[in-house]
Amino acid sequence: MSELTESVTGPDFGSDREPLLAVDRLAVEFGTEDGVVKAVNGVSFQVEAGRTLAIVGESGSGKSVTAQAVLGLLQTPPARITGGEIRFRGRNLLALDRRDHRAVCGEHIAMVFQDALAALNPVYSIGFQLAEALVARRRLSRRAARQRAVELLDLVQVPNAAQRVRDYPHQFSGGMRQRVMIAMALAMEPEVLIADEPTTALDVTVQAQIMRLLRDIQAERSMGLVLITHDLGVVADVADEITVMYAGRAVEQAGVHELFAAPAHPYTEALLGSIPRVDRKGQELQVIPGRPPELTRIPAGCPFHPRCRYAQDVCRTDPPQLLPAGDRDRLAACHFART
Amino acid sequence: MGGYIVRRLLQGVGSLIGVMLLLHLLMTLAIQLNGNPALAFFGDRVPSKSQLAAVEERFGLADPCYDQVGNPCLGPFVQRMGDYLTGDFGTNHRGREVTDIVATAAPNTLRLFVIVTLTWLLAGMLLGSVAARFRGRAPDHSIRFVSILIDAFPVFVMLLVYKFIVTVPVSNWMSARFGGDSLPALLFKPSFSPDHPWATVIVPGLLLGLAGAAPFLRLVRASQLENYNADHVRTARSKGLGDAHVTAFHIVRNSSIPVITAVGFVFAEALAGAVITEGMMNIYGMGGVLFNAVRDSEVSVVIGVVTILAVVTIVVMFVVDLLYAVLDPRIRYD
Amino acid sequence: MTDPSTAAGIAAQSDPPAPATRSLWSDTFRRMRRRPDVIIACVISLFFVVVAAFPGLFSSTDPQRCDISESRVPPQWFGGEHPFGTNLHGCDVLAQLVHGARPSLLLAFLVVGVSLVIGLVLGTLSGFYLGAVDAVISRVLEIFMVIPFLLAALLLLSLFRNVDFGGGELAAILQPAIVLTAFGWMGYTRYVRASVLETKNLDYVAAARSLGASDLRLMFVHILPNAIGPVTALVPTSIAGVIATEAVLAFLGIGVRPPAVSWGIMISDGAEWFTGGFPHLLLFPLGCLLATILSFVVIGDNLRDALDPTLR
Repeated sequence: MSELTESVTGPDFGSDREPLLAVDRLAVEFGTEDGVVKAVNGVSFQVEAGRTLAIVGESGSGKSVTAQAVLGLLQTPPARITGGEIRFRGRNLLALDRRDHRAVCGEHIAMVFQDALAALNPVYSIGFQLAEALVARRRLSRRAARQRAVELLDLVQVPNAAQRVRDYPHQFSGGMRQRVMIAMALAMEPEVLIADEPTTALDVTVQAQIMRLLRDIQAERSMGLVLITHDLGVVADVADEITVMYAGRAVEQAGVHELFAAPAHPYTEALLGSIPRVDRKGQELQVIPGRPPELTRIPAGCPFHPRCRYAQDVCRTDPPQLLPAGDRDRLAACHFART
Repeated sequence: MGGYIVRRLLQGVGSLIGVMLLLHLLMTLAIQLNGNPALAFFGDRVPSKSQLAAVEERFGLADPCYDQVGNPCLGPFVQRMGDYLTGDFGTNHRGREVTDIVATAAPNTLRLFVIVTLTWLLAGMLLGSVAARFRGRAPDHSIRFVSILIDAFPVFVMLLVYKFIVTVPVSNWMSARFGGDSLPALLFKPSFSPDHPWATVIVPGLLLGLAGAAPFLRLVRASQLENYNADHVRTARSKGLGDAHVTAFHIVRNSSIPVITAVGFVFAEALAGAVITEGMMNIYGMGGVLFNAVRDSEVSVVIGVVTILAVVTIVVMFVVDLLYAVLDPRIRYD
Repeated sequence: MTDPSTAAGIAAQSDPPAPATRSLWSDTFRRMRRRPDVIIACVISLFFVVVAAFPGLFSSTDPQRCDISESRVPPQWFGGEHPFGTNLHGCDVLAQLVHGARPSLLLAFLVVGVSLVIGLVLGTLSGFYLGAVDAVISRVLEIFMVIPFLLAALLLLSLFRNVDFGGGELAAILQPAIVLTAFGWMGYTRYVRASVLETKNLDYVAAARSLGASDLRLMFVHILPNAIGPVTALVPTSIAGVIATEAVLAFLGIGVRPPAVSWGIMISDGAEWFTGGFPHLLLFPLGCLLATILSFVVIGDNLRDALDPTLR
């Protein structure tokens, strides 16, 4: 292990519940022509080894920006991290310079991106891209790298791995490409895997396969898995904990069963209610009225209040904090959190 | 890959025939409109009997199709194609073979093009990369301003100014300081000297290269910018790869693809520019030959040289396409 | 059911007035308006357009009335009869400059105008229908593109040298106009085709189509207005290009027909006299040429940069 990772790892407390990755009150802003966009507004969550955290929210809720901030992938201008910490094994990554930040991430935290066709470089073979980090950072020989690439493809169940390793991204189907992306993320054997909308671009049957693959891999390696999605249905099978984000804030955090059984925040309730269900055939689809707010003009008070059916006066003026609501390990940012 | 090559080859040959046909049709129309076919080839001069006869025979002007406006005259076309295939591109008014003229002139044009290409690469790629790297900031704006300035001066004007206003005083001064045969004096010589084929071609080449560098620069900048923000670059960074590695493997490599293909298109423009440059600076290259042939109404030479240049352009485009396939695997499997 | 008052509240607050949607054009003009060099360029090019349109305003002398006894008079500036001097034949330079603007500019506008129209039509048809139509047009495009603008002009105008189209202003520029248009439409067609290909897959086109809009209507009412944006950036630069090309052609003797005078011809004649003690014969037409070309290029480049999304 390199010197840098030694220092980050620090003394090993051995506990499995020690968070591998902890995001603490992260705030990210973007400077645009239209004003300052507060994309992430004080978000906190953590992931432990062997556990899966799902971050759920509509487009524009700030989930992808959060993920990219963790990996140091934000372009800093126009983005600016204005507050908070991102701790990997206790060490604040934001305190490192960009190069070291990315180096730590390269070794320990990996990301799987949404659009595999765009995320892979079209002019290099899959084999090259799979082993690229290994060759560049661990100085693997070409042959060893090639072998490792084939192993990785096998791991994600791409048939005919030995031949396909020479192929180019455009020669794979969508589902296969996503597997390749996962394989690529696993190359350095990360401890945390962040998957940003890994199945959004795929059709339903393939979605299920990919989710199953992720779950199996995670279990095998005791990785911390962060799943970012807007689709609550996808998450139900795989997640242990869920963080719901709205307008750049975390509005509810709970275990998956508790959340689905009895959501504490009105937004979560509305989200769950809007999932089309087979047993409610013939009834109108429920929608959440209104639209997510313009991030340059987030409503005062609770950001959700314009669309909330329970909104009261205090909601318009007082932004609710993320506080324990009822059960242990359950947080909600609502003045009237249901328990 | 093999299939791609064959297909491009066939396409190239098809284009070639198409170009020849197009040129032929246009020429035929011109000749027919002229009324007196043979005289179309001589412009303002008065041809001698033998010259007239030579032209008539070479271009099959005796064929009655030239008397009807609109007749495509395919007979003479085929005949001329046959001549071309045997390397017979006609002669000038003094009987010297066009192929001979071209053989003497081509090396000078090649020398010019070497300088031009180097200038493009340096000016275009260097400035374009810097502009992309510092997008939106001072270097980007100033480079853009420079590119507009470059655009504004057509080669013709630049050369005029250079030739008539700059060269004489500067080269005289240089001669006085360093001697008539020294490098600085030669660099600024108002016209080409066959004894110093490289030295006297450098400044014209530089000017011509600069004139065409602006679109190149913009293209480099645009394609690099596209790649800076590209998803695959983000992926590479997420793997913990260093900036240098990412820039070399993922940005430069990808952005060179559209740049290479642009070379193919720019080549045709460059030829046109070369005609002007060589003409004005008296460089005995293919462009210069063409320039003077037009000036002196040596139409058969004009036809021959333009045809040869068209062939060269098609060959260059074919090579560029091959290069494109080597660089971008998505193309190979089309 | 939500409470009606809450619903109203929701409507008022969650549908705030949409931020002024800035269309491509207003955005572009806004960006261009700010730049001093664009403003200067517009003024200059407008000036020359006026000169071309109304030469009488600037010089009352007849450019054709040349008195050989007054040959090669140096510029008399504001004093005498020949503010810019006379040329070899005794023709007034100012008058020639002023009257020479028209053939150059007229040629440029004509060539670019017609090329643009051809490009719009062919590009739209090609991009919209694809298939056989596109194949044919693209092939033809490639063939024409192999032959550089200038080379074609050189070839054809040499051949057409003695063909007479009759007198009159239009006839004087007709030959170069035809040749330059014939080899100038390709750029526009390619641009328009690319824009159409991009635009036609947009949702609003599919929407219009599903409402039963005919092909023609789709093409010209829905797709074209949006595809036209990038192409317009080509126009001013092309105008400058044609003006420059005409100058070269005139230099070679195959440009605008005598007795019409153009800046190119003036330059060609004046170049020889530059070192002979009469620099004004070259400098005046060269200066005008440069100023016109420069201003159009500045406008064109700024227009293109203003339309360029990567610069926002």
